[in-house]
Amino acid sequence: MSELWGRSRNRKQCWSPSLPNSTSCRFNSAESSPSPSMIKGKLKLPAPDRARRVFPDRLGSLVAAFDEKGNEIDVSEFELEPGEELEPIQPGGLGFHRESDDGDEAADDDDDDKERKIRQRPIKDSFTPVSVLRFISEEEKRSDLEHEISQREINLEKLQRIASAGIPDGGGLRATAWKLLLGYLPSSHDLWDKQLKENRQKYANLKRDILRNPSEHIWKEYEELSSTRWEDNDVDGPLRRHEISHEDHPLSLGKSSLWSQYFQYTEIVEQIDRDLERTHPDLPFFSGESSLSRKNREAMKNILLLFAKLNPEIRYVQGMNEVLAPIYYVFSTDPDKQNAENVEADSFSCFVRVLGDSVDHFCQHLDNSSSGILATISRLSDLLKVNDEQLWRHLELKTKVKPQFYAFRWITLLLTQEFKFETILRIWDTLLSNPFGVQDMLLRICCAMLLCVKNKLLSGDFVANLKLLQHYPDDINVEYLLQVAKDISPDTSYYCLSL
Amino acid sequence: MVLVLALGDLHIPHRAPDLPAKFKSMLVPGKIQHIICTGNLCIKEIHDYLKTLCPDLHITRGEYDEETKYPETKTLTIGQFKLGLCHGHQVIPWGDLDSLAMLQRQLDVDILVTGHTHQFTAYKHEGGVVINPGSATGAYSSITYDVNPSFVLMDIDGLRVVVYVYELIDGEVKVDKIDFKKTTTSHSAH
Repeated sequence: MSELWGRSRNRKQCWSPSLPNSTSCRFNSAESSPSPSMIKGKLKLPAPDRARRVFPDRLGSLVAAFDEKGNEIDVSEFELEPGEELEPIQPGGLGFHRESDDGDEAADDDDDDKERKIRQRPIKDSFTPVSVLRFISEEEKRSDLEHEISQREINLEKLQRIASAGIPDGGGLRATAWKLLLGYLPSSHDLWDKQLKENRQKYANLKRDILRNPSEHIWKEYEELSSTRWEDNDVDGPLRRHEISHEDHPLSLGKSSLWSQYFQYTEIVEQIDRDLERTHPDLPFFSGESSLSRKNREAMKNILLLFAKLNPEIRYVQGMNEVLAPIYYVFSTDPDKQNAENVEADSFSCFVRVLGDSVDHFCQHLDNSSSGILATISRLSDLLKVNDEQLWRHLELKTKVKPQFYAFRWITLLLTQEFKFETILRIWDTLLSNPFGVQDMLLRICCAMLLCVKNKLLSGDFVANLKLLQHYPDDINVEYLLQVAKDISPDTSYYCLSL
Repeated sequence: MVLVLALGDLHIPHRAPDLPAKFKSMLVPGKIQHIICTGNLCIKEIHDYLKTLCPDLHITRGEYDEETKYPETKTLTIGQFKLGLCHGHQVIPWGDLDSLAMLQRQLDVDILVTGHTHQFTAYKHEGGVVINPGSATGAYSSITYDVNPSFVLMDIDGLRVVVYVYELIDGEVKVDKIDFKKTTTSHSAH
């Protein structure tokens, strides 16, 4: 069986399980030790082409940094021959130590071009205090990101790698990174200004044409016609009556009338308003009566209404406001003034991009089709089955907790309703930076969410499990969750092969 | 964009049983923000019906109204315009432009809406506009012959107003529009 494993598999096998153990002091979830079935899952199923990713993501930023600084990494020490026995995985394993060591050095010699070799280190009992490590990696991440973004030609893959480890708050880094990851900003720095201007102009035009109410439209027409009309108003006497064309009066019931089309959307506008009032009620950015929150809700309303009008097949579905909220928030907290003025335009374009591949989930009559929500939910179910058959069996067959009951909201709303706001932003960093697309990572995170509360689920019945999954625990360690998600084998078709 | 419906002189049930069906089909709730009614409804049921079209309802008392508590005149501000409302039987000669202009100056409004003559008129007079929406049911009047059912819908948008006149002529609804702008100098304080 060992011949089936490539080298990269072995390397991966070495490092990734150690990480949850090594960071056991950081999280309090009971699911700290990787269950045997998790490893079993990894053993069976080769991951897709990840040969380039030598180290799992926690080290990724450091490795990338080394790359850029022109250092050489000698990885030959870690290639295990096929058939060689894997080393037992211990807490405080090699990876952790190495990182802390070299992390220190990196912080000290930031611009140093010293050649660094990743050394083998004996396993120690004590490890570096976690907070120091975290600070170091934050700084590392920030400088990596800034470095990458400031390049003339941005390497999207590298950016994806850095971003999936989490983008530090502040400084508009997240906003720029998300715009790049979503393809709103081109990877070539020089084209940014031109592209932004074009897009923003396009949005302004769309807004003017589509969101205009009929009376503004009519007065626009008047102004474009000759100014003879105004002569009437200077003379006293009976006011002149003008014919109406095309049933264009406010009470018209005809379909072609501008007015009736406008009134058709009043229901949608009301729905949007109601949903926006309920968006993140704990955040003063969105809710409350301050002028800031009103302005934000107004802008979001414009975006959602424009989307609804441009897509009459889907229109507005409850929940789209939740998907828009993180995007709008991140872009408005960008300290760059130019960006802050054009939040609406940028948010609209990125909202459309994010919704692009999951829009079928919102369409009710596509529910049963191969791109609809039910198909995606069954893919999640398959994913769970492949990665942890015991849990799957317990959920689906024994306690009959079908994924439709909990995963619907997870999937359609891209997890925006399951976690605290900062957590959502962190999760979205990983979601948006997945090279295989948002949906792929989304399903993996959903699966990881199930795996992380596995013990509670196994000991619960239908009611308890459903309650747990519909109110996912707040105290979960996000980094751990995302790490588990990344390690989940995504391709279920291999399952049949390796058996 | 504020839609204001102006109508009056329905004289239900004494002179007419109900609004014309074609008018009723057009008047649906949710579109109109204000209703101003010149008076002579005459019964509470019509008041309730108008209330379902729009919760913001203003009525002045006509001589045949059964509700005695409506005011004689009313003024309200919508957008940049001040609107005045009065039934019109108090202003004699009935329908005389100069006398109505006196009332307009008294109330200090830009647009004065009165009724009683059951005849649609719209005049610009001395800086203000006087509108008579006519009778929405086409009820009989002793001063006007051949009354056509009519009402008025005003679209107030900032400093501009578009007045849509709905008339039922020979069983067909005819809609015309009148537009005017408020000139800022027209109402200096005196």
